[in-house]
Amino acid sequence: MNLRTASETLSFIRELEEKAAKLYEDLAKRFPANENDFLAFAKENRKYNKQIQMAYQSVISDAIEGCYAFDLESDHYTFETDLPDSAGLANAATKALAIEEKIMGCYTLGAEQSGSLLADVPRNFKMVLKKRVKRLERLKALA
Amino acid sequence: MALLEEPIKGVPVAKNYIDGEWVESKGEIIDVVNPVTCETIGKVGISTKEEIDSAVQAAQTAFHDWRRTPPVTRCRYLFRLRELLEENFEEVSRVQTQEHGKCIDESRGETRRGIENVEVACGIPTLMMGDCLEDIASGIDEYLIRQPLGVFGVIGPFNFPFMIPLWSAPYAVATGNTVVIKPSSEVPFSQTKITELAEEAGFPPGVWNMVHGGRTVVGGMLEHPDIQGITFVGSTPVMQDVIYPGCGETGKRCIAQGGAANIIVIMPDCNVEATIPGLMTSFFGNAGQRCLAGQTLVIVGDDDSFYNDFVEKVTDRARNIRIGYGLDESVQMGPVRDVQKKESILNYIEIGLKEGATLKLDGRKAKEILGGYPETCFLGATIMENVSREMRIVREEIFGPTMGIIRTKTLDEAIEICNESPYHNGHAIFTSNGKAARQFQYDCISGNIGINIGIVAPMAFFPFSGMAGSFLGVLHTQGKEAVRFFTESKVCIHRWL
Repeated sequence: MNLRTASETLSFIRELEEKAAKLYEDLAKRFPANENDFLAFAKENRKYNKQIQMAYQSVISDAIEGCYAFDLESDHYTFETDLPDSAGLANAATKALAIEEKIMGCYTLGAEQSGSLLADVPRNFKMVLKKRVKRLERLKALA
Repeated sequence: MALLEEPIKGVPVAKNYIDGEWVESKGEIIDVVNPVTCETIGKVGISTKEEIDSAVQAAQTAFHDWRRTPPVTRCRYLFRLRELLEENFEEVSRVQTQEHGKCIDESRGETRRGIENVEVACGIPTLMMGDCLEDIASGIDEYLIRQPLGVFGVIGPFNFPFMIPLWSAPYAVATGNTVVIKPSSEVPFSQTKITELAEEAGFPPGVWNMVHGGRTVVGGMLEHPDIQGITFVGSTPVMQDVIYPGCGETGKRCIAQGGAANIIVIMPDCNVEATIPGLMTSFFGNAGQRCLAGQTLVIVGDDDSFYNDFVEKVTDRARNIRIGYGLDESVQMGPVRDVQKKESILNYIEIGLKEGATLKLDGRKAKEILGGYPETCFLGATIMENVSREMRIVREEIFGPTMGIIRTKTLDEAIEICNESPYHNGHAIFTSNGKAARQFQYDCISGNIGINIGIVAPMAFFPFSGMAGSFLGVLHTQGKEAVRFFTESKVCIHRWL
């Protein structure tokens, strides 16, 4: 599906973040030794959702291009979170890395497309991207 | 895509709010129709002269105590209202979409802009301060105090049912006045929701009143000797022929904001990729029903290749606008408010064609309406080329999703076209050249000027300016000018003998 409006794009991103958060909560149960890492990731995802929503609701106005800010193909960024019961920590971390890359890809292109149009929204996308770098390093270490 | 939940359910009747009580009007009850589904979603009374008189009397009575309430206390009611509006942000936005037809992004934008006015009015203890100079002569001091005047009428339009009354009402009550708000009877539920929240915020009875209706209510406000002033946003003919003279005859203060036919100038050095979304929002946002919408696009320069390429890109983008119900988050353009407005827009397109314009994109029939809704109030985006400056589609307000394109050789000529318009509300230029931008800002007659912004909507702490056919009055709504409008300057000279 082609995403164009700020409302549908942010709803889509919220779904991605929440889906990934649920995966991390599941991983926390499956890998108790790394529970703290995974629960922290899930918490961060939900914080990002709040941060982006706050940025959107604070800046959205009739003067900016809310209905014409994006041109994203949602199919490029959707992911499955299924993981076989037999999967070990390395497999789980590899899966999480792939998911993180998809989410970051969505933020990256979204920030680029809406850069001069939605003011604080793309700026917050970039902030989320920057904060995620540490997570990638941690997941790589686990993979 | 699935629809967001509709907040208005069960065909409610929008009641008046007078002296802290919700009362059903004794006047004719009419339907409120969702322009997308064409279904009746509620009803509203066309209030009588007695009902507006009763609201003004309640407001006049409440004024005595309200003006004596310290500003710092008055603004706490507004802080509370602001919190309630935030808590109900999504619901009030969806109400706008359901009763007006605009997209959810647009409604949320309107909500935000409305709330910002409440936030600015919360600063009234500072904004309302006067001036003082000691020793204007030896032993004599002089002060200026700003005092409220009494009851103000606030008359809102159909196109921004939530935001526009908030350009005035928060400042009026913050400065110690009382208000009677008349929303458009086409879209009464947004103001009804705000009033419910104002009641919850605890404003004393009579401070914040709302009376639904039409001409009778407007006439009642204009004639009423206890109304000190009126703010109006609506059409230019009503502004010129009814509101402004009516206020003049009865000695009322007046802010009257009318229509527009804004011109957007494109320089060949503009950032094309960033400009096109701005043009979509400007010309087709809110289905073109706003006084800051672009109506005429003036493309400067004699580079045919730039012109053709630019117009092609604009047309492609406009052709693919998703049309449907704004509660579908993917929708980019909703319907116009009603069939009469649609017919008026279609009529203007015909006038343009008769005067020599040609259709680059024919939106007279919407290509595809997502969700399969009746086409009754829907239009597609229309683009007309070969438009010239004397045409009625340039000089008169269309108030719909249309774009007429004019070519000029120079920026000077483009500015001339802006300046000969009968309206001067929000002209804009898209360019990467600072000198051209400055020349446009300096020479173009317009209350609001946009530089690489297609909708020149001032923030709440700036006045919503406007000139010529777009505005009558002196002070404007919003910010410090609103504070001046709603207060009288009283100068006191003290000499203690």
